[in-house]
Amino acid sequence: MSKKKAQGTNLLYQLIGEARGYDDVIIMGRGDPDFDTPPHIVAAAKEAMIKNHADYTPPEGLLALREAIAERVKRVNDIDVDPASEVVVTNGGQEALFLMVLAVIAPGDELIVPEPNYNTYADSLAFAGGRKVEVQTYAESDFRADPAEVRAAISDRTRALLLVSPNNPAASVISPADMREMLDIAIERDLMVIADDIYDLFVYDDYEHVSPASLPGGKERTLTLNALSKAYSMTGWRLGWIVGPADIMARVKELKAAISGGTSVISQHAGIAALTGPQDAVEMMAEAYRRRRRLVLDALDAMGMKYGLPQGGQFVFADIGFTGMDSGEVAQRILSEQHVLAYPGSAFSKDRKDYLRMTFLQPEDQLIEGLERMKVAMAKIVAER
Amino acid sequence: MASQIKAEILTDHAANAALNTPLPPAIGRNAKDLSADGLLSPLDERIIAAASEALEAGQTHYVDVPGIAPLREAIAESVNAASGATYAAGNIIVTAGAQESRFLTIQKIGETFDNIAVPAVAHPGAQKALGVRARQVVSLPVDATRGYLPAVDAIAKAVDAGARLLYLESPSRLTGAAYSSEEIAAIGQILRESGASAICDQGLGVWVDGGVASLAAMEDAPAQITTIGEAYPGMGLASWFIGYIAAPEEHIPAMQSQKQIMAICTSTAAQFAALEASGLFAEAQASKIAQLKRLKREILASAASLNLDAIAGDALNLVALRAADVADKLRGVGFDVADGGAFGAPAVIRLNVNAATADAIKALS
Repeated sequence: MSKKKAQGTNLLYQLIGEARGYDDVIIMGRGDPDFDTPPHIVAAAKEAMIKNHADYTPPEGLLALREAIAERVKRVNDIDVDPASEVVVTNGGQEALFLMVLAVIAPGDELIVPEPNYNTYADSLAFAGGRKVEVQTYAESDFRADPAEVRAAISDRTRALLLVSPNNPAASVISPADMREMLDIAIERDLMVIADDIYDLFVYDDYEHVSPASLPGGKERTLTLNALSKAYSMTGWRLGWIVGPADIMARVKELKAAISGGTSVISQHAGIAALTGPQDAVEMMAEAYRRRRRLVLDALDAMGMKYGLPQGGQFVFADIGFTGMDSGEVAQRILSEQHVLAYPGSAFSKDRKDYLRMTFLQPEDQLIEGLERMKVAMAKIVAER
Repeated sequence: MASQIKAEILTDHAANAALNTPLPPAIGRNAKDLSADGLLSPLDERIIAAASEALEAGQTHYVDVPGIAPLREAIAESVNAASGATYAAGNIIVTAGAQESRFLTIQKIGETFDNIAVPAVAHPGAQKALGVRARQVVSLPVDATRGYLPAVDAIAKAVDAGARLLYLESPSRLTGAAYSSEEIAAIGQILRESGASAICDQGLGVWVDGGVASLAAMEDAPAQITTIGEAYPGMGLASWFIGYIAAPEEHIPAMQSQKQIMAICTSTAAQFAALEASGLFAEAQASKIAQLKRLKREILASAASLNLDAIAGDALNLVALRAADVADKLRGVGFDVADGGAFGAPAVIRLNVNAATADAIKALS
C-alpha cells in the first residue's frame, strides 16, 4: 500500500512501522503503557505453567477468572453480573469490541457513534455491514457528546448507541447526568447500548465515570467491555472481557467460539492474579499518568496549542489547525524529521484533520523531549507556509 | 417493557444454525474427555523457562500484528519441512489458534471469491466461521468409503461448476483420513488448470506417520494454496491458542488488517512459548507418533473384537467409529466423545487417542 493512500488503521500501522526504524524515537502515539506488567502477575503466569495449568478452558473463559471479573465490575462499575452466564473472556479489549459490534449489528443497521472515536469501531462496523451515524463533538466543549444530538441522529434503522467513556481519542468523560439521559434515550427508542469502559480507572480532577449498565434499566440492554491492557500494563497478554445480559451473552459466546475458540489459558491465570492480587501497581501507574497529563498540558499551554481538556484516558487530543496542514502530513513530518510518533486525528475521523492524539505513556523526561521536538517540527511547518 | 430490538437480535441468532454449531474443545477436560483432537501433554520445562524469561524481560507489550519475526520464520520452516512448501516468513500470520486461522481465511480470502466450496463433512469451526457473516457456500459431497473426504471427482465437478475457492481438510478433522499423494496430485492438477485456490487445514498432518501429501507442495502453490493449523501441537500449548496461516502474499495484507481489527496481535507469552517449542517439536513428534501408533493399534483391535465399525484414518491421534448409538453409553460411564453430527456425519463418533481410549472401548463390551 502506498503511503499516500493509507487511511485510518492502516495509516497508524504505517507510522508505527516507520517509527520502529528510528533508534531515538519517542512514542507518543500507540496506547501501550511504558510500564511492564507488575511482577506478581508475571509470577502467577509462571506458576500456572509450572503447575501445568495449561489445561482446558471453555470459549467463555475459566470460571475463576469470570468470577474475578464479576467481582471487579461490581466493585468498580457497580454492575451486577452472573459469572456463569453473563461474562465472556476475550483476546483483549479489541476482540471484545469486535464481538460486541457483531453481536448487535446486522447488515444495514445503524450505530450512533459520538465522533471522534476509536477507529476500530468503524472497521468492525464495516465488517458487520452496519452503518456509522456520527454525532460530532467539539474541543470547545471538551468533546462532550450532546444527548439532544444523539436523539436527533436516531432513525428507524438505528440499533445501538456507542458510549465510550473516557473517550478515545478525545479523552472526554460522559457525565452522570448525560449518561442517564443517553440511557433514557436508549430505553425510550428501544436501542441497545455498546459501552467501552477500558479507561474507567483513568479519570482526572473531579470528573466521574459511570457505566450505563449500572443505571436502572441499563443492564438488560447494555454490553460493556473492559480489558487488563491499560490498567495493568498487559497489552501483550491479550485479555479482556464483555459483560451483559445472559440472553445476548449467549450470542456473544457463540461468536467468540466462531472467531477464536478461546483465550490463552496462561493469560487467564495472569488475569486472575491481576484482578484478585494487590492493586498498588495500578495506583502507582494512575498517579504517574496524572503527573504526566499535567506536564503535557502545561507544555501545550506554553506552546499556545488548544485542546479539549482530557477528563480521562491516557492521551490528549490537540488542535494543530494553526499549521494549516492535514494531521496525517503533520504526524508524518514530526516522525520523519524529529522521530516523534503521534497519531493523526484523521486516522480516527475524517473530520479531525486538524488534530493530533498524543499519549502520555512515556517517562516524564521522554515526554518533555518529545514535546520539544514536536515544537521544532511544527515551527518549521508554520514557517514554510 | 420487553425490548423489540433485543428480541430481533435473539431471533436472528436462533436462526443462525451455522453459528450455533457446537464446537469440540481444542483439548480435553481430562483423560476421559475424548472429544478433542488435541493431545493432553505436559509443558516441557524448557518452554516454561523460555516463556517466563520473555515475560520477565518485559515482553508484555503489543507485538507485530502478524507475529514476532523469529516465530514466523520458524513456522515457515516447519510448514515447509512437513509439506514441501516454499513459504517465507512474510507468508505467515501467527494466530490465536486454529479457529482464528479458519475464521480469518474463510472470511477474508473468502470475500475475494463469489463462493466457497466446503466439504459436507468438516470441522464444525468451518461452519461457525461461515455463520459469523453469511457467504455463499457450495457443499462438496464426501465419500464415506474414503473417510468422509470429498472425492477428487466431486472436487472436479465443483470447480467445473464455477467454484474457485475450496476449503479442504487433510487429514479430516473427523476421521483422520488424508489424501494420498496421487489424490493430491490430481487435486493439484484441477487447481492448476482452473486457477482455483484452496484453504487447506492440515493441522492433524503432524500425527500421520511419515507425513501427509500437501497441496502446498505443488508448483504453483505460492499463489494458490493457503495452509492453516495449530502451531506445534502436542507440546502442551493447545489451551494457549496459538496457530498459523501460511498464505500467498496477495492475501496477507487483508488478513493482517483483519487480525489487527479483531485482536491487534497474538499473546506474546504464547508466541515465545511456541518459538521455544519449534526447536523441540521434531524430537517430541517422533516419540509421540510411536506412542500413538501403539495406542491406536490396541484401540482398533478392541473395536474389531466388538465388531465396531472403525473408519480407517491416517492421523494417529483420533479414532472414528460408525457407531453413534454408543455415544450415550460411553457418556454414561464417564467418557465424552465428539459427535459426528456437528461435523456433518451423524452416524459417526470421534474419540481422541490417549491412554484411556482403550478403556472406553472395553467399556462397550
